[in-house]
Amino acid sequence: MSKIIGIDLGTTNSVVAVVEAGKPKVIHSAEGRNIIPSVVDPVKHIVGDVAKRQMVVNPKTTIFSIKRLMGRKFKDAEVQRDMKWLPYDIKEGRDGMAVVSVEGKDYTPQEISAMVLGKMKADAESYLGGKVEQAVITVPAYFDDSQRQATKQAGEIAGFKVERIINEPTAAALAYGLDKAHAHTIAVYDLGGGTFDISTLELGEGVFEVKATNGDTHLGGDDFDAKIIEFLSEEFKKESGIDISKDRQALQRLRDAAEKAKIELSTTAETEISIPYLTADQTGPKHLQLKLSRAKLESIIGELVDKTFGPVRDCLKDAKLDAKKIDEVILVGGMTRMPLVISKVKDFFGKEPHKGLNPDEVVAVGAAIQGAVLGGEMKEMVLLDVTPLTLGIETLGAVSTPLITRNTTIPTSKTEVFSTASDNQTSVEINVLQGERPMASDNKSLGRFILDGIPPAPRGIPQVEVTFDLDANGILNVKAKDKATNKEQSIKITGSTGLTQDEIERMTKEAEEHAKEDETKKEETETRNRADALVYQAEKALKDAGDKVPADVKTEVEEKIKALKEIESSAPIDEVKTKSEELSSVLSKIGESMYQKQEPEGTKGPEEPKEPDGQTEEAKAKADSDTGEVQEGEVVKE
Amino acid sequence: MSKKQLPKIDSKSKQLEEQLKRALADYQNLERRVEEERKLLGQLSSAILIERFLPVLDNLENAQKHLKDEGLEMVIKQFRDVLSSEGVEEIEAQGSKFDPNLHEATSVVEGQNDGMIAKVIRKGYKINSKVLRPAQVAVERQQIDQKTEEKAEEGKNTQMYTNENNTNESEYTKLEH
Repeated sequence: MSKIIGIDLGTTNSVVAVVEAGKPKVIHSAEGRNIIPSVVDPVKHIVGDVAKRQMVVNPKTTIFSIKRLMGRKFKDAEVQRDMKWLPYDIKEGRDGMAVVSVEGKDYTPQEISAMVLGKMKADAESYLGGKVEQAVITVPAYFDDSQRQATKQAGEIAGFKVERIINEPTAAALAYGLDKAHAHTIAVYDLGGGTFDISTLELGEGVFEVKATNGDTHLGGDDFDAKIIEFLSEEFKKESGIDISKDRQALQRLRDAAEKAKIELSTTAETEISIPYLTADQTGPKHLQLKLSRAKLESIIGELVDKTFGPVRDCLKDAKLDAKKIDEVILVGGMTRMPLVISKVKDFFGKEPHKGLNPDEVVAVGAAIQGAVLGGEMKEMVLLDVTPLTLGIETLGAVSTPLITRNTTIPTSKTEVFSTASDNQTSVEINVLQGERPMASDNKSLGRFILDGIPPAPRGIPQVEVTFDLDANGILNVKAKDKATNKEQSIKITGSTGLTQDEIERMTKEAEEHAKEDETKKEETETRNRADALVYQAEKALKDAGDKVPADVKTEVEEKIKALKEIESSAPIDEVKTKSEELSSVLSKIGESMYQKQEPEGTKGPEEPKEPDGQTEEAKAKADSDTGEVQEGEVVKE
Repeated sequence: MSKKQLPKIDSKSKQLEEQLKRALADYQNLERRVEEERKLLGQLSSAILIERFLPVLDNLENAQKHLKDEGLEMVIKQFRDVLSSEGVEEIEAQGSKFDPNLHEATSVVEGQNDGMIAKVIRKGYKINSKVLRPAQVAVERQQIDQKTEEKAEEGKNTQMYTNENNTNESEYTKLEH
């Protein structure tokens, strides 16, 4: 049952991903990198970072940007143009195709790409711990048949069965799950290391159709870096009077600093660039130190970003689409991390672009998803859902106590033990709640039922086991069981996740908005609950101790109990707190005055709110009056 | 149950079995990987931290070239001692043969010893025998085709840009100075 992996075979870099347990994951290389440079020395069989390191030493044998030659004739205008700047030898091969000549041997672009693919295959195999023989490979939307064919051959040379060749923008759309959305037109803005591509897609019947594509094959991150380096070297010249534009070693350090500054300014508004001992003259060593703000960086590279919108306009024109009519915009490529790029794209299309996924990996991720779909894995895969809202029950003081919290992967089940709120309470009402708010009344009641026949006992003694079981279809089974009698009662709620997206959003938003006041309300209730419990404990302690308590202590405790009881449910919360503390402190006198141990329940301090929370009398009373009212789902009496 | 339904149920159960196998396989793979990654993490996290300190050492050494201060020499030695106690060692470069597994060529110079390292531009380091940061070097070539070399330089820079998002690398350097 081998996996079909997804490969983004890029001009500058390549990425490989796979779907595992229904989730796409980028596979790291043997060197621990998620991205490998598409650079190959075909003679020494070196691929990736290592090949890149020897590029200047062996310019004739280190092949990069091979994708530019893929499936192209030697006489093609593009090949003729690229030959001028590519350092290795390109010549005419069989059928007039462009091939590279390395140390007297000819290699087709397919063979060179196959070495990159071969490395990805090996990395995937070591990651997955087994053979990998099938792949989905992506190509630019503008690739013609011959280029696609060549890409497929490259895969075959590397030992893959190429299950499908898909377009890069389509892969990006798949990665964002737009095949399932109701989007009709999608724009994919891809600004990478050396190339810029813009594509518009149309989705119909689950199939993406590329409507138009445009771009600039020589505009990308390297141009941005060059601008920043130029700026830094000019600043340095202004400061020190030294021109370092010919000093290789200094330029290398500038390049590294520019790179770092660019990355930092994507998240911060200002960064400090400091390169000590950049160079030296007769007067001594010279350092470069300057602060670079995001605004300054944007003024340096703004022109380059603007340059991308020419092709964008042309692309829309070809597709006969208006920018504002585009339903979804996706950002691809490392350069789209720049806030300026994001904001300009947003302004142009008038909507927030998708950017949640790593823009360097999104194409490979989409390819992996396509692979999983082809392998039947995605379709058959039980797509595990999560519960969008918290599920719980109402407890003492109308507090909502969660059992299954939101975003829990389903199916899931959870059991907790609750108890009664008053002495000799023989029934409890289970009110099943959904929502994020701490108070029961603010959440949605999904249904309620009563478990009766609980043997009379002091509050807190009976153990009622409540089980929530949420199955894969979102059907919630709630069961309450009295552990003493094994008597149980249950309810089945079918609509627990059947909320519309709007409802979920509204409820989640409300919870956020009310978070603070809710918290106060909950605290208040808890304080009052504690006061109530304290009064109960105190009364019980007095009763249990009987005449072993000195009369003065007894009177004092009784007074405090009375004082607290009177105000417990009505007075301002601070007063309840003060009176509770007073009672609590005199209560300990009972213990002090007696040298005998109290019963376990009696020792339970009032500071144990979590211990058996139960149903209040209020809740119980309510239960008596509106048992017939079930809001959602049906009560199943067993 | 009618006989007609049987093949349907049969295929459904096969499908479910398939799903279960896949899920189990994915889970086993995950377990294996979590174990491996846990082992690696300890080493890796210190490697990442040390890598970030290397430019500081570079600059201390740069400073020393100019200052030739006795005290500073002691500080540098202290720094190196800490590194070596963490399993970090300098990559041999000066005068050795260029090896892309250990060295990154940033330029070439004309010279008689073809393929030998003429100058170390930035020192490289290994940690527990793995390359932490390759040495940046200038390499000797007997004949330099100026034009080809410039093109290669250009190409290399094209390649440079992506070092940004590799968060879990230990092999290659991304942030310096």
